[in-house]
Amino acid sequence: MLKLNLKIAWRNLWKNKGYTFINVLGLSIGMASCILIFIFIRYQMSFDEGFKNEDRIYRITTNWTTADGFEESQGVPKPAPAALRNDFKKQIEKVGSIRQDGGIIKVKDDAGKERVKVLEDVFYAEPEFFQIMNFDWLQGNPIQSLSQPNTVVLSKDMATKLFGDWNKAVGKTINYQNREDFTVTGILQEIPENSSFPLGIVVSYQTFKNYNDPSFKEWGNTSSNDECYFLLKKGTSIDEVRGALPKFSEKYFQKDLISKEQISTQALSDIHYNENLGNFANKTMPVKELYGLAIIGAFLLLTACINFINLATAQAVSRSKEVGVRKVMGSLRKQLVFQFLTETLTISVFALLVACVLTEVALPGMKSLFQDNISFSIISHPIILVFMVGLVLIVSFLAGFYPAMVMSGFSPALAIKNKVKANAGGLSLRKVLVVVQFSITVILIIGTLVVLKQMNYMREKPLGFNPSAIAMVSVRNDSLSVLKYQILNDRISKIPGVLTTSFCRNPPSSENNNESIFRYNGAEKAKFQANTKLADENYFKTFGLSLVAGKGFAKSDTLREIVVNETLLKKLNVVDFNDALGKKITIWGKTGTVVGVVKDFNNLSLHEPISPIIITSIKENYKNLAVKMDSKQILSIMPQIEKIWNDTFPENFYSASFVDDDISKYYETERVMGVLFKVFAGVIIFISFIGLFGLISFVATQRTKEVAIRKVLGASTLELVKMLNGSFLLMVFIANLVAWPLAYLFVSKWLSTFTYRIDLSIWPFVLAMVISMLITLITVSFRSFKAAKANTIDALKYE
Amino acid sequence: MIELKNIEKYYSSKGIKHYVLRHVTTTIKQGEFVSIMGPSGAGKSTLLNILGMLEEPTYGTYEFMEEDVTRLNERKRIELYRNHIGFVFQAYHLIDEMTVYENIEAPLLYKKVGGAERASRIADLLDRFNMVAKKDLFPNQLSGGQQQLVGIARALAAQPSIILADEPTGNLQSTQAEEIMQLFQKLNKEDGITIIQVTHAEKNAQYGNRILNIADGVIKDDFLVTTT
Repeated sequence: MLKLNLKIAWRNLWKNKGYTFINVLGLSIGMASCILIFIFIRYQMSFDEGFKNEDRIYRITTNWTTADGFEESQGVPKPAPAALRNDFKKQIEKVGSIRQDGGIIKVKDDAGKERVKVLEDVFYAEPEFFQIMNFDWLQGNPIQSLSQPNTVVLSKDMATKLFGDWNKAVGKTINYQNREDFTVTGILQEIPENSSFPLGIVVSYQTFKNYNDPSFKEWGNTSSNDECYFLLKKGTSIDEVRGALPKFSEKYFQKDLISKEQISTQALSDIHYNENLGNFANKTMPVKELYGLAIIGAFLLLTACINFINLATAQAVSRSKEVGVRKVMGSLRKQLVFQFLTETLTISVFALLVACVLTEVALPGMKSLFQDNISFSIISHPIILVFMVGLVLIVSFLAGFYPAMVMSGFSPALAIKNKVKANAGGLSLRKVLVVVQFSITVILIIGTLVVLKQMNYMREKPLGFNPSAIAMVSVRNDSLSVLKYQILNDRISKIPGVLTTSFCRNPPSSENNNESIFRYNGAEKAKFQANTKLADENYFKTFGLSLVAGKGFAKSDTLREIVVNETLLKKLNVVDFNDALGKKITIWGKTGTVVGVVKDFNNLSLHEPISPIIITSIKENYKNLAVKMDSKQILSIMPQIEKIWNDTFPENFYSASFVDDDISKYYETERVMGVLFKVFAGVIIFISFIGLFGLISFVATQRTKEVAIRKVLGASTLELVKMLNGSFLLMVFIANLVAWPLAYLFVSKWLSTFTYRIDLSIWPFVLAMVISMLITLITVSFRSFKAAKANTIDALKYE
Repeated sequence: MIELKNIEKYYSSKGIKHYVLRHVTTTIKQGEFVSIMGPSGAGKSTLLNILGMLEEPTYGTYEFMEEDVTRLNERKRIELYRNHIGFVFQAYHLIDEMTVYENIEAPLLYKKVGGAERASRIADLLDRFNMVAKKDLFPNQLSGGQQQLVGIARALAAQPSIILADEPTGNLQSTQAEEIMQLFQKLNKEDGITIIQVTHAEKNAQYGNRILNIADGVIKDDFLVTTT
């Protein structure tokens, strides 16, 4: 029976090649998108999995509740791990600290010649960290390898990179920051891509402790680089720890009027998904974005299935005779349903094969978009195969069930006489489905237009300073390097094409921010913290910052004169900015005089408002030399800067970036979103319109006789095309009306995440309507014109 | 009104010409009621289609109201459909989705007749054919004879000068067929509408005043009907 069904299915598909082609094309594009989305989600969900006791592993985090809101960080104060170990002996089995750092790594060969000089991330970790997280050790073990100071463990790939052969690495030394040598004592298995722990070089935590950093005792100093993990005791509930943490926080943190600081916990399984808390790999993927993608995937599949249903029910009439004859021969309805489902299944399987090819083609684009190493390998991830089988079954059922019910429901008497009408009921459902399909399409078009417009707005919005053609050349701030600042600056300034230079900690807009409490004019501590920018006197000129009162500060190596921004004064209720000039500001225990007020500039991404800002000079804290260049000569200047830099700091590692590149990186998520929207809108438009084409083809065929009659009644081709198009345009118009409010909700919600945003106008909506109607008109006219031009006589021949 | 000169129609397949019509030359005057007769496949319908400009002859000239229409462009042809020619079909060819009223209205809409004028003409036709009560019914709710009446009413709506009917009674039983034929006769005599019909039945041909007998694409006979 099944074999026969398949045979008949094949013949029918072959007979209606055009419709089959449209069906397979639509379904396969929908399926390919789903497969891509699935493998992406699978990859994202595979992060940090497979550790022993993974459900008992947590990390502690720090949060601050202030008048301005709630903030949290994955970092913890340095004394916190020890305190945790001490106070939670009953609930917690092990506590391990790990700290991220980075610097220049040098390796010498046997002859003592420098073999490798690289800039790498370096981690300081306690042996306990590796007892909590059971990474694979190829050589050594946590206790032996990481208990002593100045020992280092390398990952297999890092060891290979530094020493050529990882087997020979143990026992050799590496040099860090031209400062100290570490002995290699262990080798870790290579860390996979889907990990929040990109451990390449792990130095014993004892090494770090021996630096005797004063912050080791300070609870008031939290760096996001210091993380701390713990393993819960078996049988203990995490709520027990959570319940005790407020008290724990109260015990150790200093009481503060401005903010309340607390320690809380986060499960290992949450680390990859929580965007408020970062991680070492800097890869987070909020679950809601994964949901969003899954929904888009479902929509794509739905539109493809709608095509299928529409075409199948439209074609149903031509199969009515067959149904009638089969019923008369004694076929049960169930058997007919089964037969039609077999046909759908055949199409779905075909579509899946095409979809696999499409997936393979689209994968490189997807990899580069997400900058992740996603693979479409059924062998290494059998779950993908399961998904594809499930996909085929769902699609067959979703797309095939309704048409099968309709077709198998024909009354045999009518069916045999060929008297079944396609329009009864079927058309109204078809219309509803087309409206649904086009609503989804229009929503995506509107979304795309708004996202692109906002992106464009962000690109073009004046930030209050000029970030173009400025390179940030990093400099080290150890005392030896600081001595050479002047020489470096003099030489770089003399390069033709270099306009100005400025030593500073950060550019005006940066992701690295320092916030500090301060006193204004001898008063109480201000109720808010100021964002601090440290720079020399050329900062204003280099970045094109303009002053609204006073002047820039004079050359100084220490905190003497201060420039503040408008927002800071507004927050302090200073109305006339000139009043502020000459007032004292105390910060970090030092006092300076306000000499100027800088016009507000965007110091963060446009998601956020402008912070109150204090700009002053502290030479030891600079990290960069900002070099403003003639934009036409950038290419020739950069190598010269690198050469001068390497001459000046031969021991160090040169690195530089452009300010405008860094700023555009803020909007990476939005950029990815924009691309996704464009792609998916394109795909969905394509699917919808090939469906429309299929439907108009059918309608045109069905109404051939009517068209012919009207022709002899005196209808012109144009009038006939209009008649055939009318209902489609109406459906798309209704779809627009349905889509507008939904799109409005979605788009305004998205825009509300930006402090600086475009005003939502009617234009994206109107444009989406024009686009959808226009494409509909073209698609439909193409076919209806053909129908209207068809030979009248053939249609009017006797039945 | 109609002048056919040397009309020929053939289809060629694989180089062999299959003639449907040969050397058809005839004149049909205003007010005539012509029946085209002949065995199946003789070319009756093709001749009617050529007269209705639904098909083009391969050779020959066809003048409709002193105008050569063998190579007429679409716009002009539609103009003729709208104003001068009404079609009646064996299978009625009503539009299934439209009511009786709407079916009759369709040609008037294409002719761009004003609303009031349209309503009065349709009311007139419905009245004349005793179909007022059925104006809101759909074609499939009517009997064959009634459907054909609607078909004729539709053909008349545009007030054509000629009606081309292809086996108008072919699908009807004899009493209904008679009714239709009487109607044709009446239209011909009272309104002076030229009628050309294709028919099999000698009986139907008797209602007209001229018979063209066609066999193998050639006019074998052309004679006037003597009214008894």
